[in-house]
Amino acid sequence: MTDAAQRPAVLVHRAPAAPAAVLREVCAGAEEEGVPTDVVDVPARSAGAVGLAHAAAQDSPLEVGVGVDAAGAVAVHHGKLPADRPAATAGPDAGPQDWRRTGRTAARIVKGLPLG
Amino acid sequence: MGAPDRDPSSARLVVGVDIGNSTTEACLAALAPDGSVTYLGADLTRTTGVKGTPDNTAGALRVIRDVLARAGRRPDEVHTVLLNEATPVISGLAMETITETIITESTMIGHNPTTPGGQGLAVGTTVSIADLAGRAPGEPVVCVVPAEWDFDDVARVVNAAVARGVSVVAAVLAGDDAVLVTNRLDRPVPVVDEVRAVEKVPLGMLAAVEVAAPGRTIRTLSDSYGLASVFGLDPEQTRAVSPVARALTGNRSAVVVRTPSGDVTDRRIPVGELVLRGAGKELRIDVDAGAEAIMATIARLQPLDDVHGEPGTHVGGMLAQVRDTMADVLHDADGAGQPPAEIAIRDVLAVDTFVPAEVRGGLAGEVALENAVALAAMVRTSRSRMQLVADQVSAQLGAWAEIGGVEGEMAVGGALTTPGVDRPVAVLDLGGGSTDAALVTRDGVCTAVHVAGAGELVTKLIDSELALGDREVAEGVKWHPLAKVESFFHLRHEDGTVQFFDQPFQPHVFARVVVLTPDGPVPVETRHGLDHVRRVRRAAKSRVFVVNAVRALRQVAPGADLRALDFVVLLGGSALDFEIPELIADELAPYGIVCGTGNVLGTQGPRTAVATGLVRAHAAASSCPAG
Repeated sequence: MTDAAQRPAVLVHRAPAAPAAVLREVCAGAEEEGVPTDVVDVPARSAGAVGLAHAAAQDSPLEVGVGVDAAGAVAVHHGKLPADRPAATAGPDAGPQDWRRTGRTAARIVKGLPLG
Repeated sequence: MGAPDRDPSSARLVVGVDIGNSTTEACLAALAPDGSVTYLGADLTRTTGVKGTPDNTAGALRVIRDVLARAGRRPDEVHTVLLNEATPVISGLAMETITETIITESTMIGHNPTTPGGQGLAVGTTVSIADLAGRAPGEPVVCVVPAEWDFDDVARVVNAAVARGVSVVAAVLAGDDAVLVTNRLDRPVPVVDEVRAVEKVPLGMLAAVEVAAPGRTIRTLSDSYGLASVFGLDPEQTRAVSPVARALTGNRSAVVVRTPSGDVTDRRIPVGELVLRGAGKELRIDVDAGAEAIMATIARLQPLDDVHGEPGTHVGGMLAQVRDTMADVLHDADGAGQPPAEIAIRDVLAVDTFVPAEVRGGLAGEVALENAVALAAMVRTSRSRMQLVADQVSAQLGAWAEIGGVEGEMAVGGALTTPGVDRPVAVLDLGGGSTDAALVTRDGVCTAVHVAGAGELVTKLIDSELALGDREVAEGVKWHPLAKVESFFHLRHEDGTVQFFDQPFQPHVFARVVVLTPDGPVPVETRHGLDHVRRVRRAAKSRVFVVNAVRALRQVAPGADLRALDFVVLLGGSALDFEIPELIADELAPYGIVCGTGNVLGTQGPRTAVATGLVRAHAAASSCPAG
């Protein structure tokens, strides 16, 4: 995991119970844009998606992180943004399209493209 | 105030009020018995109702009270209110596309998905992915994938087919999955995605798929002979497919399907003829000939009496539409109405433009730039009811109110208070609907003209050429400089300078081209870069205001010679624009003209020229009652 943290990638912090389907689409969204992702399992704690994303962004060499919490909520964060102001979020009841979009948004922050 | 030996109480308080299409402006002054004028202030408010109608009274009273309050004076101190006689013109706009691109039998996919997969050129027969499992090895196949397929499944099915010996050389997808699929193929192939109507791709036909490397554009399918080589076309067939090649130029990816009778046609819509009457002649000009030819014809028919469009053609419809709007305005304006057929169009400005339009028969929302022509037209109206406004103002304010003069002449008078200006001077009033010019010679003789086309037309051109579909956004693009948001904390202005912000931008403006409004950056919804938006904006201003400045000044200049002009002062709302004055000044500089933005009274900028002119004219008239 230390190796993974070295290569330029969007870090995805995943809570232990995070749904695999959500994670798959998030990573697919970034991959379609050509930006690599590294998934990091974080220990169980109370942080929600936004907190996970903020921590991921702090760790990411690209300063962009995604958080997927136990309920399946997703947040995208940039390392320089205030902790409570994520770049994008998708609620726990969002669908595959929204999960895919969050991954795409993370990649587009890296690429400097409109998040759309 | 005045000289110490003068009794201020004997000075009369005068308010000049200019009711314009969008703003009502006032200038307050004290007139001493010896005719000297002391300006006490100026103000403006929004015009209430249609210019020249009794509805204007409310706005006029508001601005009079505002300017008095600001100067610390009471309404009952006012001696005379002076109103302008409105410019007797109303203008209208119409736009019509004159070309149309149609794809028949779904032969071409020429959109530009942001993330196609793989790269290279491949030719094969189109086969649905559902039929791939049963496909025998043999000729090359282009796999067509409907929307409901997941990228993992697509890759698995294609890999299985390839393992059996089926040669899958390319794929066309409905979803945004090209890179995901390509990454999972054992043998990567070019993949074009985001083809919304993929079910309309004809199956069992020969198709070519080309994806260029990042940063490059396709080379083969956008070349007529490239298509001929790929599909083995004879010279006659090559001629037929050349519009396809042209339509695909500049794309990063494309699909061309060879069907027995499929085609892309670039159709010219017959627009019809303009019938122009003026100077005792009648001339006809085909709108297809373009704006330049139309304007040259109009120049030969000055002064223009009327313009009609050939009935049953597009231009006939355009002018009918303009007449209908004007009839409505005139009806609103005076309640009496005037049948549209009786409205004489006294000037027309034609502008060549282009409109990005979705291609008919396209499978992926392809957009083609279609040629279009925009017309601004202007009618004269003799039905201004300013006198009624004056009567109402008088009754409600308890002061004498009168029509103080005609707009053009008054504007010159106001413009002359700009430091550095002297007679002979021409003013250009850059308004919303019309561009007005007035010239006053050394001996005080004034001529004024009005030509069609101004700020509204600029907004319309920007709106349609950038396909914004939102007049407010187009206004924003017109009024404010552009910038590109480059990170959450900095943006690059259109002149290249970079500005840092200590508060992060909202995600919806991230990496976007924005207009810098006083309320912050507002995104311009376009796939074009900043340079393109800027070019469109400047071209729109130039095609309307620079063209009209020259046209209008020629009409007032002695001998129609611009060299005969010395000073040109720009007035009106569009003179506040951040680049229109310099565009016009650049155009006029070679004629030896001093051109700049008016600064009425040395403090008011290009505003309140007419209101100030009213006060000046009144002061001049009262100091020498004989004249």
